[in-house]
Amino acid sequence: MTRKRKWSGVVLTTAMVAGLLAGCGGNDNNAGTNNGGNASNSGANGNATADTTPLTMSYYSEDPNPNWAGMQDEVGKQITSKTGITLEAEFAVGDPVQKSALIATSGDYPDLIAAKNSINKFVDAGAVIDLTDLIEEHAPNIKKLYGDQMARLRYSNEDKSIYVIPTNAGVNQTYFNAGGGFELQHRVVKELGYPTIRTVKDFENAIKQYLAKYPTDENGNPNIGLTLNADDWHMYISVTNPAFLTTGAPDDGEYYIDPKTYEVTYHFKRPEEKEYFRWLNHMNAEGLLDKESFVQKYDQYKAKVASGRVLGLIDQDWDYGDGEKALKAEGKFEYGYGHYPVTLSEEFKETSFWPTGFMSGYGIAISSTNPDPVRAIKFLDYLASEEGQVLVNWGVEGKHYNVEDTKRVIPADVNNRKVNDAANFQKESGIGNYTMIGPHYGDGVKDSTGNYFTTNFPEQIVAGFNDVEKEVLAAYKATTWKDLFPKEDEFEVKPWGAAWNIPVPGDSEITILDEKLKTITWKRIPEAILATPENFDKVWDDYMKELDAANVEKAEELRGELVKARVELWSGE
Amino acid sequence: MEAVTGKKEPKERGNRKSSRFWRTFLQQKYLYMMSLPFVIWVFVFSYVPLWGWTMAFQKYKPMPTASLWDRVFDQKWVGFDQFQRLFTDDQFYLVLRNTLAMSFMGLIAGFVVPIVFAVLLNEVKNIAFKRVAQTISYLPHFVSWVVVAGIVIKMLSTDNGAVNDLLMWLGIIDEPYQFMAKEKWFWGIVTAADVWKETGWNTIIYLAAMAGISSELYEAARVDGASRLRQIWHITLPGIRSTIVILLIMSIGHLVSIGFEKQFLLSNNLVSDYAQVLDLYALQYGLQMSNFSYGTAINVFNSVVGIILLFSANGIFKKITKESIM
Repeated sequence: MTRKRKWSGVVLTTAMVAGLLAGCGGNDNNAGTNNGGNASNSGANGNATADTTPLTMSYYSEDPNPNWAGMQDEVGKQITSKTGITLEAEFAVGDPVQKSALIATSGDYPDLIAAKNSINKFVDAGAVIDLTDLIEEHAPNIKKLYGDQMARLRYSNEDKSIYVIPTNAGVNQTYFNAGGGFELQHRVVKELGYPTIRTVKDFENAIKQYLAKYPTDENGNPNIGLTLNADDWHMYISVTNPAFLTTGAPDDGEYYIDPKTYEVTYHFKRPEEKEYFRWLNHMNAEGLLDKESFVQKYDQYKAKVASGRVLGLIDQDWDYGDGEKALKAEGKFEYGYGHYPVTLSEEFKETSFWPTGFMSGYGIAISSTNPDPVRAIKFLDYLASEEGQVLVNWGVEGKHYNVEDTKRVIPADVNNRKVNDAANFQKESGIGNYTMIGPHYGDGVKDSTGNYFTTNFPEQIVAGFNDVEKEVLAAYKATTWKDLFPKEDEFEVKPWGAAWNIPVPGDSEITILDEKLKTITWKRIPEAILATPENFDKVWDDYMKELDAANVEKAEELRGELVKARVELWSGE
Repeated sequence: MEAVTGKKEPKERGNRKSSRFWRTFLQQKYLYMMSLPFVIWVFVFSYVPLWGWTMAFQKYKPMPTASLWDRVFDQKWVGFDQFQRLFTDDQFYLVLRNTLAMSFMGLIAGFVVPIVFAVLLNEVKNIAFKRVAQTISYLPHFVSWVVVAGIVIKMLSTDNGAVNDLLMWLGIIDEPYQFMAKEKWFWGIVTAADVWKETGWNTIIYLAAMAGISSELYEAARVDGASRLRQIWHITLPGIRSTIVILLIMSIGHLVSIGFEKQFLLSNNLVSDYAQVLDLYALQYGLQMSNFSYGTAINVFNSVVGIILLFSANGIFKKITKESIM
């Protein structure tokens, strides 16, 4: 019985697809085949202006959002009332790559999938649909938002379909503040009379001098000079990425790519980086590096930061932010951290702001089992519209912001909650919960009324600084931390964006090679840093030999091919 | 079973035997019916998935939308390629060494400590104290490894860790010792954490076995003037011998599959050469890279080694102690 019914369904669908194809004769044949059985839906809804009948879609994201309130927040309710869509979100807990692999294999797909680099697994499994025609037909706002960046949405040279609508990066993003570089507590620079912090030596001296004056905190616990965050992937952020950022190379993941020849090098092989790690080794020998750096887990690291005893960090603000928030909540503002563009020596430029151009790649995809892809794309299109963008970034008018003489202003009490009670505010208002779900404009882009789309613009950022922070910035003649860093226009845009977000084909040998190299690096780098200074060269030589044995050259070669393919994909037609 | 059927002289052997089986079967039909769900359970969850082993001989690609037949057989067959890759990978031998080392240490500590603890508890005459001691000792069993690992790392920390503070106070060391950063300590730390967590729980089964020993035996021994130690040696331990042997044989069968939670949670990059275990390796290189065939090959290897270990342990114990599970 069931089998029979199934067959009749297939026949019916085929008939409807055929009917649709006949109906829109102008379309090329791809439209029908790509959308498969779902095409029938687009036929039914295609002409309706705004279908807002309630519809729940499941949504999976690799990035957990602890403040997700099931769209019952104020912004969420507004979105639902405009689009009829309610998202039922599921976030990856623990290792997102593994979770994505499981979902891709299970065949039981969420309706909307945000799987970052793991999207290749979904594409290989045929789990996500080509969005080219859906965007063309139903999403004018998305098209407008991406503008001439649309070429960057294509998947690969072999398969030029659009599977992913990029949502992790803002379009035309301008950074107004810096969150990386090297960090020093405000009390340190204040005490030392605001010395120039430009090289690792300056950084080291500041810590050294302060520690000599104040070896312990007021409770008698020893102050810690510099601690690193080396738990699992945080290793990249706090230990290995700074090696290239301080030696004049841009962030291309684990590889350095020559801008002219596109020649690829495993970045640890660069001689400059060896010197960076030699400096960390020296810090350890001097007793300035926290002994537990490579043993502590992430929560211990955050607890340490929150204790206020750590003078210096090499990390990103979002990574140590929880610890600093605790300090701010206690009113210990002078224990907060400033960001300094530290490099190995004066000859290098700090490369945090090396522009990548628009970073497509990470974003949202519509699954092949989505009940209504047209509604899904219209939902995303709403988020991309001016109305939607203002809503997700600013909240509800009259509640989270007011318009005074065509200027959007956040009332002081709302802003106060936003900064000091951030988590609860996000849960209630929903501001910040939806930006990364749909396509969005970057900071610094203005809407038709001349206001910024996002709430990150210079005046607003400065308004968020506390008095101590303002004082320190003023002493360095800067308004935001970014003023201290080399600017985007000092670098040449890389035509491949960034190597770390180039998707790797599922069956490529790179995956295994990379894993092997990572295992070696994560083992040897801590060893080299903790070795006695006389032993450093020996450990380093062994490390290099081990890399060769693990076939690092093959990995570089394969990665080079991917980079060339990316350049071709993004530049050519 | 002998007791139920009773003993009868076998007459016409072959014929008799099968008819006796059916008679027993009928007599015990309720027992058979009760065991049926579990037989089905084992079949469904342990035998049916065995067809998945075919993946180890393929270059498996998930095809969730294809028909079941295609999903299994419309794959690229590669023979023993996956195994070849496995056995030529240095990392594999490293993780195998770590796995076996930590299993052996866990096996020895996991038997000796609970047995000793059970014997000691058994000798305690104050019931209230016995109960309290037992409860406290098995509570950690219910604590998740995440929490246990957090406690262990914090205790051994150089930054106000309890162990280091104690050793410094006692004057044994001059400055905090980095336990978690030393490769040679790692196996010991894992074993010790395991003992702390599981001792109380593992004790329960031995205590139950001891409760089954007839008190007449002890009385008789006491009349003969046996000391407490003599009683333990000649009555308690032989009384739980078959329990020990059966548990031991089964644990040996599981030597290679020890999971990875504790190693994963307690390790860090500095000790990774001693912390990586087989299951974690299978997870990283199999599941995380969507290389399901490779993961399956590791699993097949695991099972084969497990079966060999199980049978040899069984054979050896059969010879030495006349006790076995088969």
